[in-house]
Amino acid sequence: MDSNSSNPAGAAAELRPYSAAASPELCRRAKREWTRPGSGGRPAVVLVESSRPENFVVGAGERLDVTFVVLPGISAEIPVTVDITGPGATVDLKGLYLSSGKDQVTFNIAMNHHAGGSISRQLFNGLASGEAKCSFFGKIIVAQDAQKTEAYQENHNIVLSDEALVNTKPQLEIYADDVKCSHGATVGKLNEDERFYMRSRGIPEEEAKVLQMISFVAPVIAGLDDEILTTRIENAIRSLVGNNNV
Amino acid sequence: MDRREEDKIIEGITSQEYKEGFVTDIRQDFIPKGLNEDIIRTISTLKQEPDWLLEFRLDAFRKWQKMKMPTWGHLNLPVIDFQDIIYYAAPKNDSERPKEIDPKLEETFEKLGIPVREREALAGVVAVDAVFDSVSVATTFRASLAEKGIIFCSFSEAVKEHPDLVRKYLASVVPVGDNFYAALNSAVFSDGSFCYIPKGVKCPMDLSSYFRINAAGTGQFERTLIVAEEGSSLSYMEGCTAPMRDENQLHAAVVEIVVEKDADVRYSTVQNWYPGDAQGRGGILNLVTKRGICKGNGAHLSWTQVETGSAITWKYPSTILKGDYSTSEFYSVAVTNNYQQADTGTKMIHIGRGTKSRIVSKGISAGHSENSYRGLVRMNPGAIGARNYSQCDSLLIGSKCGAHTFPDIQSLNPTAIVEHEATTSKISDEQLFYCNQRGLDAEDAVGLIVNGYAHEVLSRLPMEFAVEATKLLQVSLEGSIG
Repeated sequence: MDSNSSNPAGAAAELRPYSAAASPELCRRAKREWTRPGSGGRPAVVLVESSRPENFVVGAGERLDVTFVVLPGISAEIPVTVDITGPGATVDLKGLYLSSGKDQVTFNIAMNHHAGGSISRQLFNGLASGEAKCSFFGKIIVAQDAQKTEAYQENHNIVLSDEALVNTKPQLEIYADDVKCSHGATVGKLNEDERFYMRSRGIPEEEAKVLQMISFVAPVIAGLDDEILTTRIENAIRSLVGNNNV
Repeated sequence: MDRREEDKIIEGITSQEYKEGFVTDIRQDFIPKGLNEDIIRTISTLKQEPDWLLEFRLDAFRKWQKMKMPTWGHLNLPVIDFQDIIYYAAPKNDSERPKEIDPKLEETFEKLGIPVREREALAGVVAVDAVFDSVSVATTFRASLAEKGIIFCSFSEAVKEHPDLVRKYLASVVPVGDNFYAALNSAVFSDGSFCYIPKGVKCPMDLSSYFRINAAGTGQFERTLIVAEEGSSLSYMEGCTAPMRDENQLHAAVVEIVVEKDADVRYSTVQNWYPGDAQGRGGILNLVTKRGICKGNGAHLSWTQVETGSAITWKYPSTILKGDYSTSEFYSVAVTNNYQQADTGTKMIHIGRGTKSRIVSKGISAGHSENSYRGLVRMNPGAIGARNYSQCDSLLIGSKCGAHTFPDIQSLNPTAIVEHEATTSKISDEQLFYCNQRGLDAEDAVGLIVNGYAHEVLSRLPMEFAVEATKLLQVSLEGSIG
């Protein structure tokens, strides 16, 4: 990724600041991106700038795909509610938070499976440096008759500095029996063995860290297909390394 | 499998009877119903307690009066009228206790399979302290334990014979005002077990407490205190049963464990309090506080619990990992059926560097029950290189039950690594089909799968307990195919 590469003007227009996106509109857009022929199934991106709740209603056979991105310097509380009301729906909810300084980022996810036969997948990865406080509260609720539901949730965090704090509360509330549900959460540090390997191959320490962090966030941003945004994310990661001397 | 067979099997589980539900007809001493300072003074006088302990109780009572019942559990708790409970009931025995055991009482314990008289095969390896309602009835093998300097006796005796030790460690892990039920227990606790293992001593046999609620309208508030000095080791087991009654009975216990440098304590529980009937009437409200502290470096504390009973379970055996490189584990199987509710889990507080903890929780819910795992893993700033791994699996049997997971992970240290994973599922048709085509019928297949599912926890239990736990699991889940 090169920060100086030229960008097609269209890509910039696609990027809409979070605070400017009205909820129903975002919901429609997120669904339209997926149903439009030839769109390649790109997720709608929400670039978070301030606290704002987001609610999605996903009916039978509908597809929702949204990715939230929180860059350094943003403090926000982001409650996201998804109500799945019909069978055959597919929901992909992803999030990435890169926090530094005194940032405080809180995701509060409620994934409500009111109807069975649908799939939801969540993946939220975060990097906390400086004195940042990152919290992830994620709840999956499967209603009593929502059989054949599949709901998955993952939250991974890396703590980069002594003063940073991560709190994660993934929760499952299951009232139906024929379901496949799982959640996983991890909090950890960058792997030293990996870095040692890279350094022994001549990659400088800082660059090795950047590569590790990029690979950590890659599963979240993989499908974005948006060069401006991925470049901004890469720059943000570099700024985390520069700031903290991790 | 067709619908009808499924229904039949589900009916099969829900109609399982509670086999420990008998009442022993013996004469008992009660004190009046209700809770006030006079009642506490009466309990203290009856037990001939020193002044400091009465003060301790009154202090706890005053704190308790200012506290509110916690409501954060995923539980539908009935309203408990704390003035409608008898706080002290003891088997009446004119001669001095516990020299002679009432034959009726012995019969009760016989039915429960507890070798109070040291004559069963198991008695050779297990020393037992049995608590019947509010009083500890018999403690076996005291003499042979005393030779090694091990103190194992009822709490009341410990207060009389080893007041310094009790005073030093009482409420050192669970402070009086820790929570609503711990404060209540501190005010009115009646009896329990006390265990002290001196420096460097390996306890030669498993120690065991057996608790039974017998009298109607009473609550049980026992207190267990275990102290393992440097380099010692101990395996401790606890079991519980109660008669069948239409009313709810309250059980609010406190367990405190102090583990010094390089000591090793294994604490196992098979909890089989009366769970209420198929319509959810009656049953024990099991609201207990259990906590241990790994005080010294290299200390180790392991919790293993098999929870099959109680109408409501509210229980979080926890460990404070204070000593550097201390370790702790929590292994749990919780089975709920009919209208049982369980909100159980653990807390691992990492303070020392290099501390490690591991949580394995297996929930099985059937009928209309609700089964929750709730856990806290906290990495304090000093917990350099600390490590936690948690795994919580839930198995659902029937479409009317619920399984929930509420973990809380707090990391304040960049070098600490915490992992949590949870799954919820039912026994899959593929698994059943595979077993069927290998010649196992549906019931055996489910037994096999459930036992395999809980194996990781059951294998941690001491042998005698593992047998009982496996049996309990089979009884409550026989032929339960979802």
